[in-house]
This record gives sequence, C-alpha cells and structure tokens, in this order.
Amino acid sequence: MMSVSLNINGRDRSVNVDGADTLLDVLREQVGLLGTKEGCVEGECGACTVLIDGAPVDSCIYAAAAAGGRQVTTIEGLARPGDYSPIQQAFIDGGGVQCGFCTPGFIVTLTALLRRNPDPSRDEINNALSGNICRCTGYSQIIEAALLVAAAATSTPTPAGAVAQ
Amino acid sequence: MDFRSLRSLDEVLAALAELGDAACVLAGGTDVMVQLGRGEIAPQTLVHIEHVGELSAISCNGHVRLGATATHSSIAESPAILNSYGSLAAAAASVGGWQTQSVGTIGGNIANASPAADLLPPLLVHGAVVSLSSASGSRTLSIDQLLTGRRSTACAADELIVAVDLEPVGARTADAFVKVGRRSAMEVSIVALAVRLTLDETMTTVTDARIALASCGPMAFRATEAEAALIGTTLDDDALRAAGAALGNRAQLIDDVRATAAYRRRLIPRVLGKAVAECRQTIVNRSESQT
Ligand SMILES: Cc1cc2nc3c(=O)[nH]c(=O)nc-3n(C[C@H](O)[C@H](O)[C@H](O)COP(=O)(O)OP(=O)(O)OC[C@H]3O[C@@H](n4cnc5c(N)ncnc54)[C@H](O)[C@@H]3O)c2cc1C
Ligand code: FES
Ligand code: FES
Repeated sequence: MMSVSLNINGRDRSVNVDGADTLLDVLREQVGLLGTKEGCVEGECGACTVLIDGAPVDSCIYAAAAAGGRQVTTIEGLARPGDYSPIQQAFIDGGGVQCGFCTPGFIVTLTALLRRNPDPSRDEINNALSGNICRCTGYSQIIEAALLVAAAATSTPTPAGAVAQ
Repeated sequence: MDFRSLRSLDEVLAALAELGDAACVLAGGTDVMVQLGRGEIAPQTLVHIEHVGELSAISCNGHVRLGATATHSSIAESPAILNSYGSLAAAAASVGGWQTQSVGTIGGNIANASPAADLLPPLLVHGAVVSLSSASGSRTLSIDQLLTGRRSTACAADELIVAVDLEPVGARTADAFVKVGRRSAMEVSIVALAVRLTLDETMTTVTDARIALASCGPMAFRATEAEAALIGTTLDDDALRAAGAALGNRAQLIDDVRATAAYRRRLIPRVLGKAVAECRQTIVNRSESQT
C-alpha cells in the first residue's frame, strides 16, 4: 500500500492505495463520494466519468495512484443542492434523466465539452458523448439538453468557463 | 502491487533495468487497467510514465515526431498531424470515446500490438520509425520490424518506446483512413485500412501506393502485393479490382464476435476503393487550391 495525495473537488485528500486500485473504487469506497457510478468497469459505458485536469476520464480504468497531484473533479464538485449548473438545469428541464444511473457521467462529460466550447453543434455533442451509454432515454433528450445550454450561450455571451461552473 | 510514478526518462529506464519482467509500463492505462481488472496480467510493479514531460510532445522540426505519451486527443487535434497525416488524426479520433482518447497514448497503442490497433495502419503507410531506449542504449526500428505477431513486439522488457518519427509527405501525396465497425462510435474495427497515394505530375498515374490493414490477421500489416497492383496504373476499375483481390488474399481472415471472415472478404475491396478515392480527391483539391 502507498499513500497518495489527491485533489478532489478542490480539497486535498490523502488516501492509502494499492497500485492496481482504480480511482473509481477509491472515490466510492474510501472517499465516500457515491455520485460517480460503476457500470461496466471496462471503459465502455462512461458512467464512471470524472475530470482529471479538466479532461474526461473513465475512473474505472484509471489507477488512483496515477491521479496523484492532479485535479480530480467528480459530479459532486459540479453540483450544489438548489444551485445547479446550466447543463444540470437543462437535464431537468429537458427530461434528460430517467433512471439516472448514467446521468453523472453525461453531466461530467458535457461540462468538459461546454467549458472548451460553450456553443457546440449537434455533431460536436454526439462526438463528445460517444463514450457515454444511456439505456433509458434514447439520447435525444440528453442532446437537446446540451443544445439548450448552447443556445443560451449564443444569446447571452458568457466567457468560456463561466458556463458550466 | 507496487506503483512508481516517475518524472524523467532516466528514472524510467533505471526502473525498467532494475525490475525487468516484473515491471509493466503504465501510460494511459486503457489497456493495462482492463487487463489487470480481468486478471490477465499480474505484474509486480506498475511503472507510470504519464508525467514524464519529455515524452509527450508532438514536434515538427523538418519532420514530424510524436512522443510516446502523446494522447489520441492531442494527435487528433494537432495541426501538424491534421495537415499532413490526416489518416493518423482520423485513426486517433476513432479510438474508443473521448474518455479513452484523453488518456490513451500512441506508445500504448503500438506496444499493446492488438490485431485491431487503429494507429498501426496509418503508421505503416507513413513509414514510421520507432525509437526505443533502455539503460544500456538506444535503437530505432521501423514499425513493421517492431511488430512481431499478435500482441507481440520486439520491444524488450527493459526497453521503452520513446518516440515515433513519420516520413515527410511530398507533393501530390495524400492519405486516408477508413474504419468499419458494427456501429459508428466506440467500436473495435471489423476492418481498418490506411492508404497513402502519390500521383505523377499529370495527376493521373500512381507513382507510389502504400496500403496497410488492421483487424485482418494476427497483426496489422503492409499489403505490398496490393500496392504493386496500383503503382503505374491510372486507378482504373481493373487495377482497383486486382488490388482488392490481392488485399483479400494477403489477409488472414477469421470469424469472430464482430464479423465473419466472408463478410470481411467482401468488405475489403470496398473499403480500399473508398480510401483510394478519398486520397485522389484530396490530391486534386489541394492542387486546385494552389492554382
Ligand atoms: C473502451 C475502450 C475502447 C477502445 N477502443 C479502441 C479502438 O477503437 N482502437 C484501438 O486501437 N484501441 C482501442 N482501445 C485500446 C486502447 O485505448 C489503445 O490501445 C491505447 O492507445 C493504449 O494506450 P495507453 O496509453 O492507454 O496504454 P496502456 O494501457 O498504458 O499500455 C498498453 C501496453 O503498452 C505498454 N506500453 C505503454 N506505453 C509504452 C511505452 N512507451 N513503451 C513500451 N511499452 C509501453 C504497456 O506496458 C502495456 O502493455 C480501447 C480501449 C478501451 C478501454
Ligand atoms: S464503469 Fe467505467 S466506463 Fe463503464
Ligand atoms: S437515464 Fe437510465 S441509463 Fe440513462
């Protein structure tokens, strides 16, 4: 076992891990952040998506020890109860949530997209979401939710990065 | 399992020299972590190279050099790669989803040597040369010398892939990558093919053709017989038919969960035709935009 210092949602945490432990297991079992979901555990479904230094990563196939010293953002780092980000609000308004299991992964990936590109096209949204699977919604409500945020970005110019804080 | 996250190439090479077979290099981990999860590998120590700054750059001083830990995302977005090696950018953009591309690396794709590794056909047609280093020295191997079989390479246990150099692209030369999967996203390929084509000054006759395939045998390969069937031709139907047949004969096709051998055999000539047409169109478009 080794001690690794992780920055999770802006707070430094020291965790004891084995080299093969995944970031997903450490987040859920040691840190107690249960918003990041465990689906396939093979990098296929995106339910476990977190941001590492701003880029979306499947935490089920990423070693916790490899995240040492880097900024890890989970769904909990994007939500405050009652104070949703624009993409979270758009999921609620647009019916992007059914069972909700895939939702944290989709929100995290779309947050990364909207930070880079506040006004993505439908194609850019589809492309960004190719690693996230939803078995309930048929995707259209999710894509519409992202387009709602994109449309709001064009009508009220906001600086990149302020969109999905 | 031990874990060493290292910051410099010298530290990595020293660790590999010390640990030998007991070490497993960990780059983005998109293959290694899946293999660990399935119990397919059980190394004593993971040697983590993602933070070795000197390994991640894509540079173009005279020719293009990709560091071993250049990620699929950085390759797909690099202007130098997009301008001259579109097939490589397209292949990188087709590896898994965004999450796979943000950490998965070119070095990992090469070293893993999967029969379906998407970066290998573009690297084969662009005459990629791989630099390997160990504590006792460095050497270079062409990509086809490096690949020795299904999931096997000439990279020794104490060696690290440090960089990949691409052959410059001359006038009236273009490339294309075509991948067929069961669906358009997040699919391991049924057939993946890259072509690099050069036309003569009249832009009608082929002076050089390079064709490479993945998912059509135990490892990705250059199909020299099919190349010879195109060189010197005007890409007429007979030439394309002959090249498609040569490609099919060279492939060692199998039935697997993704497709039957018979389906792959039908697919190969069509995929070749599409890639060749795309190359020719790019060459024509470029010359028109210059005049
Ligand atoms: C969901 C999913 C979808 C995928 N889809 C595709 C796909 O469509 N096409 C495709 O080609 N691949 C695909 N892959 C496989 C994988 O993403 C790629 O092969 C990737 O490029 C591997 O890079 P990595 O940095 O993650 O490698 P790692 O997993 O870190 O390493 C892979 C292997 O290479 C060795 N290695 C890594 N770097 C070096 C080096 N510099 N020198 C020597 N040895 C080294 C490791 O020891 C290991 O054996 C997919 C994977 C997943 C999880
Ligand atoms: S649980 Fe990680 S990708 Fe499915
Ligand atoms: S809402 Fe159920 S999996 Fe997406």
